[in-house]
Amino acid sequence: MRATKRREICHWLASIATILCCSSATDAAEAPLRFAEQVQPILSEFCFQCHGPDSQARQADLRLDVREHALRTEQPVIAPGNSADSELIRRIVSDDPEQQMPPPKLKRALNEKQIATLRQWIDEGAEWGQHWAYDPIRKPRVSASSFGTLVRHPIDVFLGQRLEREGLTFSELAPKSTWLRRVTLDLTGLPPSRDDGVSFEADANPDAADRSVDRLLASAAYGERFVWDWLDAARYADSNGYQGDAERTMWPWRDWAVRAWNADMPFDQFTVWQLAGDLAPQASDEQRLATGFCRNHMINGEGGRIPAENRVDYVMDMTETMGTVWLGLTLNCCRCHDHKFDPLKQRDYYGLASFFNNTPVDGGGGDPQTRPNLETPSEEQQRQLRAAKEEITRAAAGLDELERRHFPRGEGQTAADASMAQGAPGAILEILKSAPANRDRGQLEKLNKQFAERSELNEYGPALLVLKSALERRDGVARAIPRVMIMEEMPQPREMHVLFKGLYDKPTEKVETSVPQQLAAFQAEWPKQRWGLAQWLVSAEQPLTARVIVNRFWSQLFGVGIVKTSEDFGVQGEMPQHPQLLDWLASSFRQSGWDVKRLFRQMSLSHAYAQSSRVSPELTDRDPENRWLARGPRGRLPAWMLRDQALALAGMLSRPIGGPPVKPYQPLGIWEETTFGNKRYEQDHGENLYRRSVYTFWRRIIGPPIFFDSASRQTCTVKQSRTNTPLHALLTLNDVTYIEAARGLADRMLNEVSSGVDARIDQLFQTVLLRSPTTEEREVLTSAFRRMQGEFSADTESAVKLIRMGEWPQADRGDAAEFAAWIVVCNSILNLDEVLCKE
Amino acid sequence: MNPRMEQLQLQTRRTFLQHGGLGVGAMALTSLMTTGQAEAAKDVVHNPLAPREPHFAAKAKRIIYLHLTGSPPHLDLYDYKPELVRLNGQDAPKSFIEGKRFAFTTGTPKLLGTPRQFAQHGQGGVWLSDAIPHLHGVADEMCVIRSMFTEQFNHAPAELLLYTGSPRSGRPSLGAWATYGLGSENENLPGFVVLISSGVQPNGGKNSFGAGFLPSVFQGVQCRSKGDPVLYSSDPPGMDRELRRWSLDALRDLNTIQAEELGHPETLTRIAQYELAFRMQTSVPEVMDITRESQAVLDAYGAQPGQASFANNCLLARRLAEQGVRYVQLFDWGWDFHGTGAGEDIRDGLTKKCATMDKPVAALINDLRDRGMLDETLIICSGEFGRTPFREGRTAAGSVLGRDHFPDCYSIWLAGGGVKGGFTHGESDELGFSIARDKVHVHDLQATILHLLGFDHTRLVHRFQGRDYRLTDVHGNVVREVVS
Repeated sequence: MRATKRREICHWLASIATILCCSSATDAAEAPLRFAEQVQPILSEFCFQCHGPDSQARQADLRLDVREHALRTEQPVIAPGNSADSELIRRIVSDDPEQQMPPPKLKRALNEKQIATLRQWIDEGAEWGQHWAYDPIRKPRVSASSFGTLVRHPIDVFLGQRLEREGLTFSELAPKSTWLRRVTLDLTGLPPSRDDGVSFEADANPDAADRSVDRLLASAAYGERFVWDWLDAARYADSNGYQGDAERTMWPWRDWAVRAWNADMPFDQFTVWQLAGDLAPQASDEQRLATGFCRNHMINGEGGRIPAENRVDYVMDMTETMGTVWLGLTLNCCRCHDHKFDPLKQRDYYGLASFFNNTPVDGGGGDPQTRPNLETPSEEQQRQLRAAKEEITRAAAGLDELERRHFPRGEGQTAADASMAQGAPGAILEILKSAPANRDRGQLEKLNKQFAERSELNEYGPALLVLKSALERRDGVARAIPRVMIMEEMPQPREMHVLFKGLYDKPTEKVETSVPQQLAAFQAEWPKQRWGLAQWLVSAEQPLTARVIVNRFWSQLFGVGIVKTSEDFGVQGEMPQHPQLLDWLASSFRQSGWDVKRLFRQMSLSHAYAQSSRVSPELTDRDPENRWLARGPRGRLPAWMLRDQALALAGMLSRPIGGPPVKPYQPLGIWEETTFGNKRYEQDHGENLYRRSVYTFWRRIIGPPIFFDSASRQTCTVKQSRTNTPLHALLTLNDVTYIEAARGLADRMLNEVSSGVDARIDQLFQTVLLRSPTTEEREVLTSAFRRMQGEFSADTESAVKLIRMGEWPQADRGDAAEFAAWIVVCNSILNLDEVLCKE
Repeated sequence: MNPRMEQLQLQTRRTFLQHGGLGVGAMALTSLMTTGQAEAAKDVVHNPLAPREPHFAAKAKRIIYLHLTGSPPHLDLYDYKPELVRLNGQDAPKSFIEGKRFAFTTGTPKLLGTPRQFAQHGQGGVWLSDAIPHLHGVADEMCVIRSMFTEQFNHAPAELLLYTGSPRSGRPSLGAWATYGLGSENENLPGFVVLISSGVQPNGGKNSFGAGFLPSVFQGVQCRSKGDPVLYSSDPPGMDRELRRWSLDALRDLNTIQAEELGHPETLTRIAQYELAFRMQTSVPEVMDITRESQAVLDAYGAQPGQASFANNCLLARRLAEQGVRYVQLFDWGWDFHGTGAGEDIRDGLTKKCATMDKPVAALINDLRDRGMLDETLIICSGEFGRTPFREGRTAAGSVLGRDHFPDCYSIWLAGGGVKGGFTHGESDELGFSIARDKVHVHDLQATILHLLGFDHTRLVHRFQGRDYRLTDVHGNVVREVVS
């Protein structure tokens, strides 16, 4: 029944008036080999280690990564047009261990196909090209596709061309409810409400899907969803890391990032502000706050650490994070040596690191608010601060008046000159010389002690204490103000040197602040500071940034990037599966003014995204990872999204946005075991147990165990891991979070449907999956429910125990056995593969 | 039709559940090991913990690593230096300390000869001090390396270097590499188990037993002595095993409908994982329950049920090894003998601390031997570095005798699977400041451990961020002299 329904092809997705035109797609099966896509990866894999960019490791003075060297005419190794006469091939196929390449001891040999490719390439003339990702981005023309109504969007055209070559076609559209759940989870990290489902199902307008996407992109949940991946990349945490792991207050930066996502800040601006907002002309507090991105690195406060070594670690972390996030390059190799595979030199690394080398941070100590920092008082704190200052002014004025009465003095004199002060110790006289408004708490206390016993001064002591307590109140407010570590440039930049093997105390040659010019030119008008670096990253000539970013956003919706190695766009990274699509997305993203919401809108309204994820064994075998997208994207939700989904379905999710991190349920002893017992986890109560996962306190050395498979937030991570282990099953089956959510879901359903097991199961399915159960599914759950109800009826004590789990207020349900049985049913439903996954 | 799918479809639900292995959406595994093993790696994709053959015949099938966190004073346990005793109290010679950096010592420190009595033990004449009397009896199983060195002199980076090959966090740990390479022999238990005593985690944090960039299924699972032995493994209150079984039956039936409807192999893997979770809920508490041991065994180890002691953990290590767990990692806090308190004095303090260690460790060796398991179980006992031949600077004026961190030269020992018993390798100089012969870096130790497991350490690799990573980074040589 369900199957039949699913096979109904309904054209609910609006056909976009695409710019389909021009030439038809021609099959490129007989085309000559493309160097960057087919040849260079082989050379990189087997030859570059000894014949590549790393000058230290280079053998026989031969380079195969650079055209001039590989095609040299003296002692040539490649004879263009004649593979049989090429030393390269001769060595590869040689049986002589002395001659054979790669040398047998490396245990790396080319296979027949790879050798044939090299032969063909040489026979065709050994055309050279540079690595694809370093080529400028050119917007490909969109040509017609033969898929007619299945093509909704240029995205589909490019994907369609590949499918056609493979003899495949797109799947039909997924059922409307499936798409709505998919897109709602993808764009907001929350499940659609049942009402959303009902109204979308009923909406026959051709732009219904468009309007749903617009609604989702406009919701505040959108920023909370996408900021998660950004926090992973930014290695955001609420503590320093390392042994002491002191708590920090970087969360106002996290809240800024959520706001920036929700405001759809153009991505180039988002980039520039975070790397160099402090260097903007008349930088605003918001721009300076954005630079907290750079300072999210770990801080090492261990005893015996050398500050200078720490400082270099921090600079390297900032450099490598920038490299991974925007350039998709693994810069860390170049700490110690020239890159083995990419044309990056050790000098390039330190040239880039030099941009981050000029903050006043000296690496000493483990202060989690190490200056430069920015105070970010809340409105309430600002009000309290104003009030405290007014109080101080009043108290100081009162004290001044009193002092003038009791310590009369002449023109130009101070209280210290008054007769009352005669005989007081020098330290007291010093204090009396200053105006009351300028005295600190200790000084006020000293005066109080000094003069407390003078009966004629009986008003004086209390006045001193009034001012002192006003100062205390102000300091109390000030202490509680979060301070976000930010970037700041010293007037005199530090000199940067290449560090031998990356060791802080082994500087060698001096390097200038610089970028790898082979990627894109650094304009003369840009300052040689982070501001210039950021401009370079988002410049029109920069071939990497737009590609790297759209690829990552793609992977957030489609599961895998167009370039699977989303963290590595270098020569060792994967070739794009759909190069033209990647370039089309990158260039249109840039042309749109780096409009992120527009990009997600395009992707989520494509047929490729909206199609059914049903798969045949044959297709699973041919395309196990769904790189061709002959079916819709599918995959397990990240752990944090599972929690948010469960809370939302239970009607428990609490929705305030932003603020200090919260501490929801966590098994006892997790922090204590890790921190010498120094850090105690004080679980929150009430609303804070039900906040969105993104607000959960992240202790860097032991992240929240409920978020399995998460990045550790120790260093930059741009690729999510998805594994499937029994430990995850134990968590979603047994943790109080999920049992309590099952209770909420059961409670909600029992309130909505007054009777009938079938009707209740239907309601649960509609709530969770926006669809009715099939007869078979209903039968499975009905019989499970009845069995469990029977069991609990015989043992109501157990039923009550289960119901009482968690701190959410207890509903008054008369029949404990029935309620408990529904909780177990809901627990099973929340663990369905279809619920754990976006289908 | 794809034969695998066909086979799956032919199987009834229940037989599938009995045979279904551990699955993982881990295409990453196809990069397991180097060229030539790609085919073998493919099978791994759907069951990453299935037992696998190493590169060549292994000497050891499993590892028990005893880590004495903080690093014990090797000069008071294994490396006897009579000349140092003779010069006790004198200034450390300038030539020995020039240009060196120590964690808590500056200026010219005073030499500290051991106050302990040393003697040679067993047929092999292994030097051991009086602090570890029970180990005297198993000296002929011990292979002491007295020429270890590392570059790191702070706990956390030294520990990370030892376990992950790099002093910075983020790389897979030794146990993760071992299970990645070999899989597990028991599908009802994790392949890599971590046991921690004295209530404190290792300095390197979870990274010391993490999976780094390997699939997380290879990370060490900490079996805890308080609360659930494995996180979240207790059924919720009010739900007994039977109820859980029924709920899983329903879940499995629904997921099977789903798998038939949409055809995702991952759904089948999920069913298998939930079934394994159910079995683990029983098998983990069982294996962790030492009350099932005889009183004689408990006495031999000095184990007392209900405690989080090193003795209990040694016994648990044997129980886990017996059940086919590939790698058991123990961490025992309290070996950082600076001398900042009486407990850190290398006289009475060390005697007391060793009393909690040497008896259970000797019992573990004997027990494994009696059960015929010692030959195939490699035991390693070490800290993350050594301790100085001089008194620690901060405490040098006090009455408590302590030593500072020392990376340049220290001792560890191995026993069992594939190493020479009653054997001593390497030598320090007369005062214990540097290595006199046969230097062994931690990367060499790692290469040797992998060798004993049957791996060429240069070929057990994983592709990540554009390069092949391995435990030994770009270093490491197998110490063939210690291999039996």
